Amino acid sequence: MSEDRFFERLRADASALRYEPDASAMTRVSARIRARVASQPPTVAQLLASWFRPLATTLAALALAATIGIAFVPNDDAETIASNPDQISMAGDTYSVGE
Amino acid sequence: MTDDPLEARAIALLQAGDTSASDYLVSKHLRRVIGIAWGIVRNAHDAEDLAQEAFVKAYENIRRFREGEPFGPWIHRIVTNLALDVMKHRGKFHHEELMDTRPAARRDSTELRAETGQIAQRIDAAIESLPEMQRIVARLHLVEQFDHAEIAAMTSISEGTVRSHLSLARKKLREQLSDLYGDGDE
Repeated sequence: MSEDRFFERLRADASALRYEPDASAMTRVSARIRARVASQPPTVAQLLASWFRPLATTLAALALAATIGIAFVPNDDAETIASNPDQISMAGDTYSVGE
Repeated sequence: MTDDPLEARAIALLQAGDTSASDYLVSKHLRRVIGIAWGIVRNAHDAEDLAQEAFVKAYENIRRFREGEPFGPWIHRIVTNLALDVMKHRGKFHHEELMDTRPAARRDSTELRAETGQIAQRIDAAIESLPEMQRIVARLHLVEQFDHAEIAAMTSISEGTVRSHLSLARKKLREQLSDLYGDGDE
């Protein structure tokens, strides 16, 4: 058997030796990690991010609302004045101003 | 680059300080991390402790982690380095004790799964009889199925050195397992 063939077969057989922790070990270690990670003090950058993220979101929402308001309100006024320069509607009838 | 969008998202959340995102990374990588540690230190209790330390260390340094990179190689490297530190410590203070117990009276032989066959147990004993770095490299390659480049990254040694260790290990393993993998055994 060649060296390469020997090593291939050895590798295939050795894969059965992989250590598999049982379910209780997995649960136990996962819980310990979770507790350790949760108890880590936040970094300065994380603290700043936790303050600024909601603030930035609020400001962005306000800016969006203001932009939409400015874009639509003047257009409605302009359209009303321009399309009806000399007419008044009342009780379903239209009257021309000055007639 | 990672091909797991959930993993990338979990890392981004952790970097932003959301520790609940660690659950996904633990569930995905813990089994393999414990396996790597066990292969080096050969003790279930120590392997669990090392896995725990590796994840905590990874989270402590999560902001240094480059966006889009896979988490696996990083946590594998961390746990391998921690396990190698343990072995160095043992080598310094308990060298004689370890030499006396290997390989026949290996203390953790009962930890091998019951269904592991006789051939696998012969291979395990042969790997355990190797000098330390050959044993660790051989186990990572043969049992954990890592390639040369991955082992080099995990152990902080060059790929050429990994190949040298494996070459020496291969010769010794072939001698010890000649009855299993003899010339006529095709």
